[in-house]
Amino acid sequence: MTEFGLIIETTNMNPYLNEHIQALVQPDRVHRDIYEDPALFDLEMERVFGRSWVFVGHESQVPKPGDFFCTRIGLQPVVMTRHSDGKVYVVYNRCAHRGVKVVNEECGNAGRFMCMYHGWTYDTNGDLDFVTQPEGYPDHEFDKVKHGMGRVAQWGSHHGFVFANLSSRAGGMKDWLGENADFLDDVAISAPAGEVEITGGVHRYLYHGNWKMQVENLIDMYHPAYSHESSSAKGGQQFTRRGGDKGGIQFFEKPGRVKSMDGLGTHALPNGHTWQGGLPPVENNSDDHREYVRLLEKKHGPEKTKDILIKKRHNVIFYPNMAMQELNPHIRVIRPLAVDRTEILIYPVKLKGAPEQMFRDQLINLNKTHSPTSLVQTDDVEAFARAQEGIQTSGNEWILLARKGPEERFNSGRIRTTGTSEEGMRNHHRAWLKYMCGET
Amino acid sequence: MSVSKPGSDDFLVLRLEVQDFLIFEVGLLDDRKFEEWTDLFTDDGYYWAPATPDQDDPQSSVSLFFDDVPMMRTRFARLRHPRVHSQIPPSRTSHMVSNVTIDGHDATEGEFLIGARFQMLEYRPGHEQRTFGGRYEYQLLRRAAGDFQISAKKAVVLNCDSVHLPIAIPF
Ligand code: FES
Ligand SMILES: [Fe+2]
Repeated sequence: MTEFGLIIETTNMNPYLNEHIQALVQPDRVHRDIYEDPALFDLEMERVFGRSWVFVGHESQVPKPGDFFCTRIGLQPVVMTRHSDGKVYVVYNRCAHRGVKVVNEECGNAGRFMCMYHGWTYDTNGDLDFVTQPEGYPDHEFDKVKHGMGRVAQWGSHHGFVFANLSSRAGGMKDWLGENADFLDDVAISAPAGEVEITGGVHRYLYHGNWKMQVENLIDMYHPAYSHESSSAKGGQQFTRRGGDKGGIQFFEKPGRVKSMDGLGTHALPNGHTWQGGLPPVENNSDDHREYVRLLEKKHGPEKTKDILIKKRHNVIFYPNMAMQELNPHIRVIRPLAVDRTEILIYPVKLKGAPEQMFRDQLINLNKTHSPTSLVQTDDVEAFARAQEGIQTSGNEWILLARKGPEERFNSGRIRTTGTSEEGMRNHHRAWLKYMCGET
Repeated sequence: MSVSKPGSDDFLVLRLEVQDFLIFEVGLLDDRKFEEWTDLFTDDGYYWAPATPDQDDPQSSVSLFFDDVPMMRTRFARLRHPRVHSQIPPSRTSHMVSNVTIDGHDATEGEFLIGARFQMLEYRPGHEQRTFGGRYEYQLLRRAAGDFQISAKKAVVLNCDSVHLPIAIPF
């Protein structure tokens, strides 16, 4: 065998059989390789991000025909567009000719997409529009669709939240969403106009750690008092997270005594989705909040409004790449870059029809909690980077996820347990195994 | 005072006063005198670092920093906390400020609009040294010769819309 052949073999061959992968995820622990082996990362991009439904964007990011928004599914560049037929499409960002990425701006509006290299042109639904100097292809018939940029296998939306799946063999989006669809319903109804909009820019930050650490952290109510102690003031309370709120999250009962978050509850759903119970309600007598309540009451009546105002969940994870928080509404997109490198994108979610000042306060609070300069997330990503470093040690190859509490099972397949249980993370890893070792 | 024509003595003196003040101001950050830095701001003053180069205002979209004085105090109290994990060890910075221009003034308010360019080196042991740079825009109130207060400081960082590792110290 030539040396060249050897290189090809070692970089392209998957060294993992399913039985190897299964051994990495045990009932109460996972092997460090799943966070640090580049070969497993490549497989994840193919099997987790290639087989699961993943979050792409929100329809409000492409309101008008010709609008486009570029993102990625795993490592693959895709464009979400609004075509002239008024529908949303999710298209691979790739020229059918020689593979050049066609759309190079993050977002904008275009009548058509033209490839910079040899000028092939595409409709905003990805169909081939025309090939330049076609006389040079005497033996070739061009098909609009077959020689288009290519659309992903499946996509759909719920309240404007667009999800896509690269696999045509995967089940439908509604099945995959399960009870997380109810959450999106709750979010939409909490907007006086009945719908939300993604606007107000984006916070982006990077960390030197595996993408799954962020997913785990989003369901981790064990860490806040320790990781985020520096963001709590005298009295053991964190700053407020919503305009007009009278108080923040209580970390400590008294100095040195951590307040348990067990009471919030952890919910583990099929397909790796997870959520926490909502934080205890905080008094808010601001004019804006009162106006917001009035608008909801006008539409839904006082009973229903009371129910809408109770936040039933805190972080809701749409496994594998999105989470949403309702308290200070925003979407978090988890974008894996490499086995030890992850980008986080935070998009404010605007409740349409709510007082404008509420949204302005929301943005200011997101600067505080979710910017690269934030007083909160910076400590989380510090933990991820140190975890990535710590697991390089050879004394212990396992990450312990054994924390648990009493569990209650629902017909939907959802499990409810204590807030600081690590069941949510075990749930992620069960879904991970299903995608990594499954057939679709 | 009123600003005389560019090139006049008054103008040169004023520009030197402003420049000295800016050098002093960013020096406080490098010396980790964060509370003194905060005290340079008027009660309703603010510090703003937009998240995109063309961001019009800090109210309609998110920003890297948009701190009023109470927020600065919260931010810096945290940096003094013994368990501020993401700043153990802390970042060191070196700010340079130059190309100072006096872009306008309001004689009745005593307010000056100042432009400048900056560079900030940042190093946190164990991490790669980073370079940030860009444009400063100030609204300064002049209370006496050489004595200014900041009613607004804006730092437009060249790569503000890139993806960043955590940033702890203002530009
Ligand atoms: S690669 Fe796109 S036109 Fe040739
Ligand atoms: Fe956290």
